[in-house]
Amino acid sequence: MSERTESLHAIDDGEAFEAVSDTTMSREERYRRLFDRLILAPGRIVWDDLRARIGASIILLYVLVGLFGPRLYKAPRVNQGPRSVTPLSEGLAYPLGTDNLGRDILAQLIHATPSMLQMITAGGLFVTIMGVTVGTTAGYAGGRTDRVLSLITDIVMTIPGLPLIVILAALLAPQNPIVTGLILTVNVWAGLAREIRSQVLSISRHSYVEASKAMGLSTPTIIVKDILPNIMPYVLITFVNAARQVIFASIGLYFLGVLPYDSVVNWGVMIDQAVSGGAMHVVSMAHWLIAPLATITLLSFGLILFSQGTDRMFNPRVRARHSTTTGSDDEPTDDDAAATTGGVVR
Amino acid sequence: MSADDPVVSMRDIDVHFQDDGGVNPFADPETVRAVDGVDLDIPENDVVAIVGESGSGKTTLGKAAVGLQQPTGGTVSFRGQDIWTAKKRFSNPSIPYSEIRRSLQIIHQDPGSSLNPHQTVEASLAAPLKKYESELGPEDREARILAMLERVGMTPPHDYAQRYPHQLSGGEKQRVALIRALLMNPDLILADEAVSALDVSLRVEVMDLMLELQDAFDTSFLFISHDLSNARYLAEHADGRLGVMYLGELVELGDAEEVLRNPQHPYTKVLKWATPSLSPDEGAAEPPVREIDIPDPVDPPSGCRFHTRCPYATEHCKEATPEQHSIGAAAHQASCFRLDDGSDYWRSDPLEGASLDADER
Amino acid sequence: MSGRADAATVPKTDTESEVVLSCRDLSVEFRMDRGTSRVLNGLDIDIERNEIIGVVGESGSGKSMFASALLDAVVEPGVTSGEITYRPSEGESVDVLDLSDDRLRQLRWEEISMVFQGALSSFNPTLKLRGHFVETLEAHDYDVEAGLERTRELLSDLYLDPDRVLDSYPHELSGGMKQRALIALSLVLEPEVLVMDEPTAALDLLMQRSIVSLLSDLRDKYDLTMVFITHDLPLVTKLADRIGVLYAFELAEVGSTEEILSDPKHPYTRALLNSTPDIDSPLEEMRPIEGAAPDPVNVPSGCPYHERCPMATEDCATIKPDMEAASATHDVACHHWERVDDEIDLTTEVDR
Repeated sequence: MSERTESLHAIDDGEAFEAVSDTTMSREERYRRLFDRLILAPGRIVWDDLRARIGASIILLYVLVGLFGPRLYKAPRVNQGPRSVTPLSEGLAYPLGTDNLGRDILAQLIHATPSMLQMITAGGLFVTIMGVTVGTTAGYAGGRTDRVLSLITDIVMTIPGLPLIVILAALLAPQNPIVTGLILTVNVWAGLAREIRSQVLSISRHSYVEASKAMGLSTPTIIVKDILPNIMPYVLITFVNAARQVIFASIGLYFLGVLPYDSVVNWGVMIDQAVSGGAMHVVSMAHWLIAPLATITLLSFGLILFSQGTDRMFNPRVRARHSTTTGSDDEPTDDDAAATTGGVVR
Repeated sequence: MSADDPVVSMRDIDVHFQDDGGVNPFADPETVRAVDGVDLDIPENDVVAIVGESGSGKTTLGKAAVGLQQPTGGTVSFRGQDIWTAKKRFSNPSIPYSEIRRSLQIIHQDPGSSLNPHQTVEASLAAPLKKYESELGPEDREARILAMLERVGMTPPHDYAQRYPHQLSGGEKQRVALIRALLMNPDLILADEAVSALDVSLRVEVMDLMLELQDAFDTSFLFISHDLSNARYLAEHADGRLGVMYLGELVELGDAEEVLRNPQHPYTKVLKWATPSLSPDEGAAEPPVREIDIPDPVDPPSGCRFHTRCPYATEHCKEATPEQHSIGAAAHQASCFRLDDGSDYWRSDPLEGASLDADER
Repeated sequence: MSGRADAATVPKTDTESEVVLSCRDLSVEFRMDRGTSRVLNGLDIDIERNEIIGVVGESGSGKSMFASALLDAVVEPGVTSGEITYRPSEGESVDVLDLSDDRLRQLRWEEISMVFQGALSSFNPTLKLRGHFVETLEAHDYDVEAGLERTRELLSDLYLDPDRVLDSYPHELSGGMKQRALIALSLVLEPEVLVMDEPTAALDLLMQRSIVSLLSDLRDKYDLTMVFITHDLPLVTKLADRIGVLYAFELAEVGSTEEILSDPKHPYTRALLNSTPDIDSPLEEMRPIEGAAPDPVNVPSGCPYHERCPMATEDCATIKPDMEAASATHDVACHHWERVDDEIDLTTEVDR
């Protein structure tokens, strides 16, 4: 990386300043480069990390089951099979056995997946979007906007979560999984907003943010280009945590009977029914309880692994190394101060 | 608003920062008077270097000049148009704020944080082009970026364009910051300690580049530095001016060569002493100030702010504030009573440790 | 690596003055994934009693490693090798790198003391300054009363008000005050040698220059030997008796300040002087140095400067130059130092 100062080439000043292209890069070439940068390079980083790979595969599995499972596998019905059958004892007819009403357990798990995924996604997105929007606006704008938003955030944060959810659930009696997801995270976003706000406060002090302001770039542009990439690892982890919270909260609340269900098939419902059906006391019925528990645990685990792995995706040093359009040589130079984003998670 | 108006004109600028006092509601809010009553004009194609120590307010003054810091008093105008008035929504200014914003740019001190670490060099440089030269297609943008990279000596340009900031050295990062500022064709660039974080042997290189580009693109430069040698190099090469700030006031201003050869303000003389040269002669070993430490900018001394440390200070200096006096014909001015033969200064008692004719270096 | 144990090629000392610290083949290595990084490469240098020696190098030249190595304080996983012989004014010589932990603890601060780079954050923000001094005195089993008396004297030598400073918290003091207090802290146990790594880097011009004057006075009053490590060549010329120039983890040249300034023999030193913006010299004479410093994992064979040197020949690329004596007090590591006067102009030529 030697510095050469023979700057007085044939290019004279007027020319450099007015230069326009004399070739046209084909659209194809341009899209290919964009694709490499935005999708392939991050993809490669994610694939590179074992945790992310495993996590992504697990999540993908659930998504696929959610999308195609109900179509491909039979729906659970009462008395579709003999009652309380242990897994695989009847061959492949009931791979996870049946419950005390003769419903196929695997069928229940599969058919509950779409609504669970909807709930989790709704809740996670709600927390993330609200938290990031409010936190970033408060942190970046400062002044009165900040004071007002922070006041609102603080109020929401201090309202006791569980009683609030219970009351809302009782009032609204939600059947739609998306609405349920929103209710379950109604005041969780406030904590994230607070944390994002303090991150944004320190990022805003970086010189390049001031340089962007000096260039006259619009506020949305500055937020998207300069601020957000720095908080992305944080945002991702919070999304995953919120998703997990939704899972556990929903199960807990179904279990407690706060959330109503009739024919709603749901992993939490299954647990509730399993416990009241005596699965905790009778070993031969244990599979009824273990199946939904394992399902929940596996999804949760997958989310955690994935978030740990993708954290690296937002580190520009790692991206540079995986991208084919930059040089592969990214030796740190003498005046590298502390890493600009968090350290590489390894 | 004629073409003869200086690019930036600052009149009686004050920038005062209020400190809330924190949790204690009875604490007096402390005001830091970072800049106090400064007048400065920067015409087209001019280079001005401002030198000062910490607490002098030079960075704040610089940012006020390019519209990044709103003054609490006085006016900052761009070619005759008050900048902050133009920013207000319904003021209908003769020069729109967007044009003003484009014409005043900044290069920061710390190359490590002056570029967005998540963007490649090309992306960082494309941003101003997308905003201000939107008729350029992506290929044209790329060609211009590559041409500018080559112009500043970063070859092969294709390679550099795709790099992230962490893959560049400090000097290279500063060059990219310089290109970014120039791409907007600004009328004034603020270089805020732009070479201070670089290795000594690189500074001359980057300053040479700045001078070359200043000449080629007809941009004015406002160069802030705590290092008198750097400021001198830049200002003298460009036949520009040198200004000295102390505790928020501009105490001396004039043609760079003249100010250094013939400093009029006692503080300028002290700065000269403090800037070591490569000649083996010692000069006075003792600091020619009565007090080594700089006073707190929250509570600056009364009268002439330098009186607590000045080797020539008298009672008069404690009570009255000196005005700007012109020296000779060449627009050289300094704020010191000693320049006024008829002043009460000559009749008042010297302060402890000072004398009217303290030994000159 | 070439060993340079030959005493004849090591910088000579006056028969009158003794050597208080003597380094032989001093090296620091870090083993990393991408190779072994040698951030200090076989340094030989003698530091005379009561002198102030300036060690000048740019960033990445190894100077901070040198400072740490002198106290055997290189951070893990760095490995320091070679020999550092310390000859106290009373007592036996010891090899600093060979000492037991206890003895090393005693040596540091009581005999060889250090002022670090970025020292402004070295204070515990919850302790008043007095507490820092007392803590240091107690940790080394010194008499606290007598120690505080000495502290007060040191502080006023450094133009600080002892009462005010001792009763302040670190955040209540300005940068310049903290730095001076740190110097006082490093001297409170009456060491013989003071090693300073960029002690004035973050300070104002006036304060830098003032501290440099103060250090000279302190050396005279307290009989100290000082090693002043910095990148700021003009500053150190006002203080140092001798100057050593570091380039790419090796010593390029050592000589008296006057010799280094007016007649440097190493091409790098000449280039460095030419490229330093100087307040007094005419403008046209400042020129930048082409090229960049090498990477510690990939140091070129032969002379480390050969890739940027205008005088380089084939030999320079393969054979590492030994230190040769250009005069009784001036040593240089270059194959062609005799020709340097003709080939490289010193644009900051100053009359002797």
